[in-house]
Amino acid sequence: MKNLVHLSILICIVFWLGGCDQKPAITPSGKTIKVGIIAPFSGSDHAKGKEGLKGMETAMQLRPYLQNGDRIELVAENDKDDPALTVKLLKKLVNEVKVSAIITFSSTSPVLAMAKVADEYRTPILAALATHPDTTRHNGFISQLCFDDDFQGTVAAVFVRDDLLIDKVAVFSNPGSIYSSHLAAKFESKFKSIGGEITDTVSLTEETGDLSKVIKSLRDNTPELLYLPISAKDLVRVVREVRKLDWKPKMMGSDGLISTILAQHQEEIDLVDGMLATDFFAHGMPLTPFGKRARDKFRGKYKSMPTVYAALGIEAYSILLDAMNRCSDPANRGYINRQIRSTTNFTGIIGNITIGPNGKAQRPLTINSIQGGRSKFIFKVY
Amino acid sequence: MTEYVTSALFVHTEDTTHLIKPLQNNSSGTLITPVAFDALMQSPQKQLEGVDHVVVAGSLDVIKEILYLAMKYHFSIGILPTEKQKDLIKLYGLPKKLPTAVDHALRQDGQPLDLILCNGKIMLFKAIIGRMPFLDTSIKVSWLRLVSVALKKFVGFRLYPFTFSTDSKQEINTAASGCMILQHHRGIFASRLNAYDHSFKGGMVSLVISAPISIIAYVKLLMRVLRSSTGYKKLPSSIGYIKSPQIDIRSETRLDVIIDDQHATHTPLHCEAIAKAVHVNVGKNLGVESSSANASKEKIDINNLPREKKLFKAKKQKRIPFFSYASDERFQDLFPALREDSRLNSIYLVLMVLSTMLATVGLYLNSSSVIIGAMLLAPLMAPIVSLAMGILRGNIKLFKDSIGKIVLGVIIALISSAVITSLFPHKPITNEMLARINPTLLDLAVAIISGIAAAYSKSFKEIIQSLAGVAIAVALVPPLAVAGIGIGRMDFYFFYQAFLLFSTNLVGIIISATFTFRILGYSSAVRRKASLVIVFIFLALISIPLYLSYSRIVEDRIFEQSLRKERFLVNEKYLIIVKASIIWRQDKRIILMDILAREPLTREDLNAFKKKIQANFSKKLIIRLKTFYIP
Repeated sequence: MKNLVHLSILICIVFWLGGCDQKPAITPSGKTIKVGIIAPFSGSDHAKGKEGLKGMETAMQLRPYLQNGDRIELVAENDKDDPALTVKLLKKLVNEVKVSAIITFSSTSPVLAMAKVADEYRTPILAALATHPDTTRHNGFISQLCFDDDFQGTVAAVFVRDDLLIDKVAVFSNPGSIYSSHLAAKFESKFKSIGGEITDTVSLTEETGDLSKVIKSLRDNTPELLYLPISAKDLVRVVREVRKLDWKPKMMGSDGLISTILAQHQEEIDLVDGMLATDFFAHGMPLTPFGKRARDKFRGKYKSMPTVYAALGIEAYSILLDAMNRCSDPANRGYINRQIRSTTNFTGIIGNITIGPNGKAQRPLTINSIQGGRSKFIFKVY
Repeated sequence: MTEYVTSALFVHTEDTTHLIKPLQNNSSGTLITPVAFDALMQSPQKQLEGVDHVVVAGSLDVIKEILYLAMKYHFSIGILPTEKQKDLIKLYGLPKKLPTAVDHALRQDGQPLDLILCNGKIMLFKAIIGRMPFLDTSIKVSWLRLVSVALKKFVGFRLYPFTFSTDSKQEINTAASGCMILQHHRGIFASRLNAYDHSFKGGMVSLVISAPISIIAYVKLLMRVLRSSTGYKKLPSSIGYIKSPQIDIRSETRLDVIIDDQHATHTPLHCEAIAKAVHVNVGKNLGVESSSANASKEKIDINNLPREKKLFKAKKQKRIPFFSYASDERFQDLFPALREDSRLNSIYLVLMVLSTMLATVGLYLNSSSVIIGAMLLAPLMAPIVSLAMGILRGNIKLFKDSIGKIVLGVIIALISSAVITSLFPHKPITNEMLARINPTLLDLAVAIISGIAAAYSKSFKEIIQSLAGVAIAVALVPPLAVAGIGIGRMDFYFFYQAFLLFSTNLVGIIISATFTFRILGYSSAVRRKASLVIVFIFLALISIPLYLSYSRIVEDRIFEQSLRKERFLVNEKYLIIVKASIIWRQDKRIILMDILAREPLTREDLNAFKKKIQANFSKKLIIRLKTFYIP
């Protein structure tokens, strides 16, 4: 009997050890592949660059080498979200630094500037935050990691109409921002097409004079929701005026709002409490095993939870690495570009990401509510 | 009016020298002569000549030495306790604050108190021989320490043969885990036992003896002690009590004697109470209590201790068993009934056929009340319980008869329901049937709990009517009927799943009933181990599909829940999932969804939706949609 017990224990140990997931160790090849990062590290959008880089560094700690042992070296450049500077840096990274791929955390305008010359430089660019649909439209080298504004605007409109059961909406937009005006237009057209009424469309610029008066006149038309696809700074201005009037309409912002407010307008966080927003992630939503590992690593490294920008940084690096691993020559720009655009069901932080041959990403969008300084998950839209 | 001594000798140690001044500055005008304890012990006779009252401050050993000298030289004693001597303060009811304690120590009202000597050594609080976990521990000790100390004492917990002799020459042969002599000590759990009627007066030694028949019995005793803050009128079971002017304790093996928490001596032990041995200034309350307990006579209460046959059995035990044995009366009640239950008879066969037919028809009718009727009619539980006892007691006849009866019952049930099914022209699959083809670990849990309930209610005549409830809970016949329907339909999957549920119930009941009978004391061990091993192997085997099935159900529920928080944008059409549920047909996973949409969905939209679901969740999902349109 004793022998039988010993034998059983031995068998269990053998099975247990045998069952261990022993991935073959990667032997460093000594070769380095350079990856460029173009992002605003200063200026009003500095959070995008800084947080995005943190995410990439976290992902790099999780997987520092390619399968063939090549090491990734990140070369970061600050474009201050200035389109002209962005194009200059693109040229520098491609011609002087000789990067094999570029990841950008710049917003729509600088990325659209790159889109015009992307084919000329023939270097794969993965845009983490530029949601404008034209980002990928007229070139073969920029791919989006994010969903595009056609998807975002449509989802916002149908959610407001069919989930919130709202009939009347007032829309704000910033005509100086391609991102803002496109998103507002998309929302408006979709909302109208499904029977909703747009009570007002407000063009908001730095020069917009008496905002209080504008808001008062909006209130007279009794919209139930204000759609605000504008910068965090402008949004804070609008919300402040709304609160002053003791008016409590529902309000909805767009992607990256909570991250920007947390990073750059922390003192205003109570002001936006209860606000809805479309985004890439939300606090407390179910994560994939990869998402859990990345979150834990990030928390261990930076002692805080990853923001939306950081999470996109993690995904951007991982998708690029995955694409490189599928290339026969992981430093070849053409190969990398083709592989990025054939990413299928890559397991991201909260779900699968597919990047099609047209460079567009199919990924879930989340609808969140800002509560207690955090974005609370409401729905995920595929 | 309070009277004080005119002079007193103050015996101090190095630690209590600081008390000389406060004592000398007493308000009663008593003349104090200080003397160090060591100096006193060098020539006690000389130092104590003409001394009528001694005040002592020092360790327990020092106080005990002074008590010896008091017996010899007949002086009265006042005690100045230190703050740490809480037990001493409690024992003699002494004041805690120094000025009051000084005043109290110098009073001329020493009470005559008994002293207990164990092998010549003074015992003030308690003397312990052997083990009495928890009972011998201080009430004030933290729970963590109490548990850790007491649990250690349970290791190798056994009964030792003891002989106790009293002053009246009565000899008591018994076995006990330990015994304890108590001296007016309310600070330990043992003081909560009824036995506590000893005092400083009356010239008696109080002995509490613990002889638990099992660990469970001892734990029950402890629970009783913990619940009570005062003693019980009747001695708890497994506790004996002797009160006599002197007691001799002998044990077959030499046992250590711990006196006042110090290893002091060993058995054989002679304990005697020296009546009115010393005069000590004690607290007022203590004086009143002790005066009421003066009239004492020898008392022997040993009904709960093992004697004769039980003593012989106890002596053979290497350690105290975990479970108690059932009483002879209960054995006599239960066994004939179980033997009868294991015998095959025509009533059983008829009831088996009828209950299966009823269950089969009820399943086709999708009528839960008819199925419950079949459960109540089914006689299958009785031989299963008998089988459990057969395994426990190693009773081959009971075992074989029960197995035979169960197997025949199962075959009859399968044939009956298969025949009925084949006769039915229309063979619908009802929800009642579906409910019995997805067994999980939860069903095993139901079977185990039901097995415990079945064995328990069978063991006590007064609750035997509860067996009907057990039969409904575990429902043995309906799964058999579904398995038979599977045979009738020639559907192996149907048969396999339903028979798996029946096997789960069968194995669960056998195992839990066996162990319940064991706990209830119907056997000292599981005698037919080989049979039990086979049942366990079956359990292990059926646990695999049950676990898989359970984890599948959990996974499905989580998925269903998560889907309610998900939306789909398909070709610009927004789809809201209102309800989602997953069902399994054979091994295919089907998701049934109610969705809300504004625009009509085309085949192209549905294909795109299916692609999105499959890309984000599982490729193997089969989707069935019901669409509600938003006007």
